[in-house]
Amino acid sequence: MKPDTDTIPLIDLQKWMQGALFTPGLIAKGSAGLRVKPSSRLSAAQRLAIYQRSFIERLRVCMGEQFPALKYAIGEDVFDDLACQYIRDCPPQSYTLYDLGKRFASYLAETRPDKDLPNMQKESWIDFMIDLVTFERQIFEMFDAPGYEECEMAITDTPDEQLTLQPCLTLGAYQFSVARYYHDVKHKLEPPLPAAEATFVALVRKDFITQTLNLSPGQYRCLQLMQGGLNLPKALAVICDETTTAMDEVMDIWSAANGPRQNWIEAGVFAARPTNLT
Amino acid sequence: MNLAKVNAAREALPHLGLGLGLRNVHFEHILNHNPKLDWFEAISENFMDSGGRPIYVLDQIAERYPIVLHGVSMSIGSTDPLNRIYLEKLEALAKRVKAKWISDHLCWTGIMGGNSHDLLPLPLTEESLAHVIKRVRVVQDILERPLVLENPSTYFEFTHSTISEPEFLRVLSDATGCGFLLDVNNVFVSCYNGDADPYAYLEAFPLDRVVQIHLAGHEDLGTHIIDTHDRPVPQEVWDLYRKAIQVRPQASTLLEWDGNIPDFETCQEELFKAKELSALNHREEVSSSKSLSTQEGLSTPVDFLCPEVMASTEMVEPR
Repeated sequence: MKPDTDTIPLIDLQKWMQGALFTPGLIAKGSAGLRVKPSSRLSAAQRLAIYQRSFIERLRVCMGEQFPALKYAIGEDVFDDLACQYIRDCPPQSYTLYDLGKRFASYLAETRPDKDLPNMQKESWIDFMIDLVTFERQIFEMFDAPGYEECEMAITDTPDEQLTLQPCLTLGAYQFSVARYYHDVKHKLEPPLPAAEATFVALVRKDFITQTLNLSPGQYRCLQLMQGGLNLPKALAVICDETTTAMDEVMDIWSAANGPRQNWIEAGVFAARPTNLT
Repeated sequence: MNLAKVNAAREALPHLGLGLGLRNVHFEHILNHNPKLDWFEAISENFMDSGGRPIYVLDQIAERYPIVLHGVSMSIGSTDPLNRIYLEKLEALAKRVKAKWISDHLCWTGIMGGNSHDLLPLPLTEESLAHVIKRVRVVQDILERPLVLENPSTYFEFTHSTISEPEFLRVLSDATGCGFLLDVNNVFVSCYNGDADPYAYLEAFPLDRVVQIHLAGHEDLGTHIIDTHDRPVPQEVWDLYRKAIQVRPQASTLLEWDGNIPDFETCQEELFKAKELSALNHREEVSSSKSLSTQEGLSTPVDFLCPEVMASTEMVEPR
């Protein structure tokens, strides 16, 4: 006898199969037998299970490649469990795998077991995990973001008024020194979990290498103001006001040998002129 | 595009010779050594949103070699609306790299906004056929070229499928003019898993519409075969290839290697076996060394689509 699936429309079969992949616990028991042909060696359910295993496994591997430092920090087994749960709870919605980890940091924040406790009582290692995932995502996005590699960068002689942030630059403020941790993992230095420490970084891509620059709070504020549309002299003026520091003093720090001006120009923070890529 | 125009465009597609799937791990080798190879196949989704090194490299490779775009996310069989933004980006990329053709798979990847990142099987019914015909026409209108569709590797068939895959594809091409990417490894994998005869499949396949042939390796678990693309092409697949290329010598040939990717020369060496088919009749020797795997690998691996980002980072230390 032909099964009653003769009448199942395509859309319903696709809903069933996607459900079997995304939420396998919710599909009706025995439903595979009605929809899937068994082979001479495997039952219908066993054949469906090949797709079910593959769905989770392939994305788990991709998550590990997008968050290698977190994988190191919490260990492979815990990471794998966490990644699988994330994939189950937040199945992919984009045609590109690059978006796979996009919601991971917010997912961790929303599902942390101490979410409803006062901040003082929250587990700091979870804060660290969220910080690290946020940083790793920033790094990942920088890899293939629109860049400025073939355009003219600022040089030492470029006047301050003309210094413009290049488009492939992003800022980060963290509760932990996650940038240092990430790079220590990269260099296989087996870093311990760091203690809480406010850190500020700029990520800037030059010659297809994403560089991490540690920033002081004032430097971070300066770049933040420039991202908001101020040119450099105006950003420095705002900092003078906010910190009640004399402009001469700020300019001394800014222009010192090996100071931010020189370091940032060398790192490729600035374009030679305003860019239309932002 | 009307049918006659699509048919003419498909028939005019060039014979490219022997090509290799373009993978990140081979970028440096290709740029530095200009290896002797006829063409490359680039995964569309790896480059269509790229503003970084991947598109920079592809631009350079496209100046030196013919490029074909091969996608995994068109989801031609999905009941979700076609993703117009995706198609527009695909078209823009094809123009940028002067793609010789654009291929994807006869499959669906998700519905209701979801994406499994897997090539899921379609029930092969009159309803599915009408649905895919309609969508292929829309895609060809947007891309202004014939779409080339690949037979996927499958691990099951739906109970109520009423049409064989070769017949489904034949009618699809008759109605739309689309071409085919015949993956002979997928033929072997799907037929083994579905208790079918791969030679009967080939016999029924519309080989006259085949533009390209894929070669790849697979993992045999005894109860089923997984399309892993992580090892050399097995003899059974070479045998199918020989049969297919005899009938359709105009088809361009491409080797896919997506897991445990070896160095470029090893891939090249494997690909060049296609040139020496007459010397490849080592059935007994290969069969004797054949072994069953005990641990299931990943079907159509996707992790190679994720770049190894960490290697392209550095900490700027204060001086």
